[in-house]
Amino acid sequence: MHLLLQATIAGILVGGVYALLASGQAMIFGVTRTVNFAQAIFAILSAYLSYTLFVDIGLDPFLSVLVLVPAMFAFGGGIYILMLRRLSRSSAELALLVLYALGIGVQGVLDFAYQTNTRVIAPAYADSSWTIAGYQIPVVRFYAFVLAAAVLYALYVIRQHTKLGRALRATTQNPVAARLLGVDVERISAIAMGLGVAAAGAAGAVFGMVIPFNGNSQYDLLSKLLSIAVLGGMASMGGTIVAAVILGVVESVVAATISPDWSAFAFLVVLFAVLMFRPQGLFGRRLRGAL
Amino acid sequence: MVSTVRRSWTVPACLAAALLLGACSTSATTSSPGSSGAPLVIGASMSLSGDFADLAGPAKKGYDLWADTVNAKGGLLGRKVSLKIVDDASNPTQVVTNYQNLITADHVDLVFGPFSSLLTVPAATIASRFGYAFVEPSGGAPQVFALHLHNLFLAQPAPIVTSGDAYAAYILSLPADKRPHTAAYPTADDPFTTAIVTRIRQRLEAAGIRTVYSQTYAAETVDLSPITTRLVAEKPDLIISGTGGADAVAEVKGMVQAHWTPKFVYFTGGPNDPTFPSKVGAANAEGIFGTSDWLAEAKTAGNADFIKAYVAKYGGTAADIDPAAAEAFACGQLLELVAQRTGKIDNATIISALHKGSWPTVEGNLTWDADGATQGADIVVQWVGGKLLPVYPPAEAFAKPIAKPAWAG
Repeated sequence: MHLLLQATIAGILVGGVYALLASGQAMIFGVTRTVNFAQAIFAILSAYLSYTLFVDIGLDPFLSVLVLVPAMFAFGGGIYILMLRRLSRSSAELALLVLYALGIGVQGVLDFAYQTNTRVIAPAYADSSWTIAGYQIPVVRFYAFVLAAAVLYALYVIRQHTKLGRALRATTQNPVAARLLGVDVERISAIAMGLGVAAAGAAGAVFGMVIPFNGNSQYDLLSKLLSIAVLGGMASMGGTIVAAVILGVVESVVAATISPDWSAFAFLVVLFAVLMFRPQGLFGRRLRGAL
Repeated sequence: MVSTVRRSWTVPACLAAALLLGACSTSATTSSPGSSGAPLVIGASMSLSGDFADLAGPAKKGYDLWADTVNAKGGLLGRKVSLKIVDDASNPTQVVTNYQNLITADHVDLVFGPFSSLLTVPAATIASRFGYAFVEPSGGAPQVFALHLHNLFLAQPAPIVTSGDAYAAYILSLPADKRPHTAAYPTADDPFTTAIVTRIRQRLEAAGIRTVYSQTYAAETVDLSPITTRLVAEKPDLIISGTGGADAVAEVKGMVQAHWTPKFVYFTGGPNDPTFPSKVGAANAEGIFGTSDWLAEAKTAGNADFIKAYVAKYGGTAADIDPAAAEAFACGQLLELVAQRTGKIDNATIISALHKGSWPTVEGNLTWDADGATQGADIVVQWVGGKLLPVYPPAEAFAKPIAKPAWAG
């Protein structure tokens, strides 16, 4: 039982980071109707930048979030304006391919710049942990979880309690109607893309402290993001968070109690089981022609 | 119509030209490299990036150092040695491409092996197909010798599968009240690590040491926290871990985080890396066991000169030298010895010569069986007082083994 609970704690903590990453993906999909196949490599890009800021100038990875989030917001908005504006609504499939190609391209640049050696961001407190009631809480994973929760709450506030959030939700629900009501859908889409990529930036900065990474890590991460998106419901922020925590816990528990090699498969079993009864995911709505 | 006739002649002509070029190419490959004064080009694929990069880096240094050393002495049989080293990104598919290119496109005279057993298996097969001698520094897993290749020679004193034997012997030499009662065996799914761990486990189980956890995980696994969570839950007295390098560091960090210290820790790879203490913390490295095929203090052939040249070229001290550098350097020493003893340096001569007699190198006096496996034994080493020292067998030891102190945090 102790092992089970310890693994569950570890899964919840890492699930928070996945939730932040996947919520950005959900926001982008909700507004632009495009599955961002480059979301994982954007997180890896941010992890490398955080690594560089830490190694070269000693900036703590948690503080690097303050630099990386605005930079990644601008990067994401720029990608929408330059590459997706004409594609995302007229040809979602083409936009998807463009983003996939972009992911490969960014990985190529990162492999060239950093080589393919696995790296990990290791500040002085990287090996510290707290013992509470006999259970270990790694400091880095706990802070990463707190950061993820804080950013997710900020995204929630923006979506639910601001004028921008109303425009985002309106565009998510019905872009044509939103446009008729005066919403600048293209501008909102660029902002959504920026926010989604910024979420990847925040998650990536701390991901590099939690799990060793290289450019190739994007594929494992992308498969997790897509699984989370499908389980939670493609455009559902809340569903994404729940699904991410389920993923983290299932993988961690199976890896610790059975084998790391079975952890990904175990999550897919959960995914298939849910989709048999709710094809739209746990919290998703049926979207006509979404994909 | 005219164009059709022209095409009908053009195609066979091109094919004939291609066959002629192919014949010339084959001829160039099989010609004796010892017959001209041109540089002797030796090709090798190394993992300059990817999973094995940290471990293969020292091996490349060993190759480069040997080339500098032999060229300073006038080269091999009057020919300067030129190394052509290409990156395989630690990828078994890329290593095949690399050796095919080195042999058939670059027409290198000789080849050296890559890093790791995983890459040696496909690389040695390619070298054998083209009749190249394959002196290699680190492919010592059973799968390598199971190829039954006549051209393959491991430049280490013992095959990998036996490298943990000395540690098993050490554990079994302990009095009953100090011997571990339980053991855990996590290992990456790699021919190098699984062979060692399996062999140690069989010996310890036969001696009554109970296995409480055994897990083989994919070699590319980067998050080892589930493994360490399980280790901490099972609390074995002894951990025998099949690691390449980075995963040894990850396991130590996981146990440090959990504030739990086993009585004995042995890693197949990692502790031999001179930078290991800087990665896990010097105090945490204390008491960790490994085995080694090379020691700075050893009185083997050319060892003092090797250390002197290494420090002069790369800086640091003898303690900073990774055994992988010595293994690669020994590959070059073997070519020098073949040239000295036979007066020739072509692939056929190297293969036939190395199958006879004993060959003194920095790795000791090497002899091989028909499959290229060496016949010696490794030594148990342990981090003691900030130094990696030989501790078993007693005849080879520079210090007595110490008990594992608690992690320093």
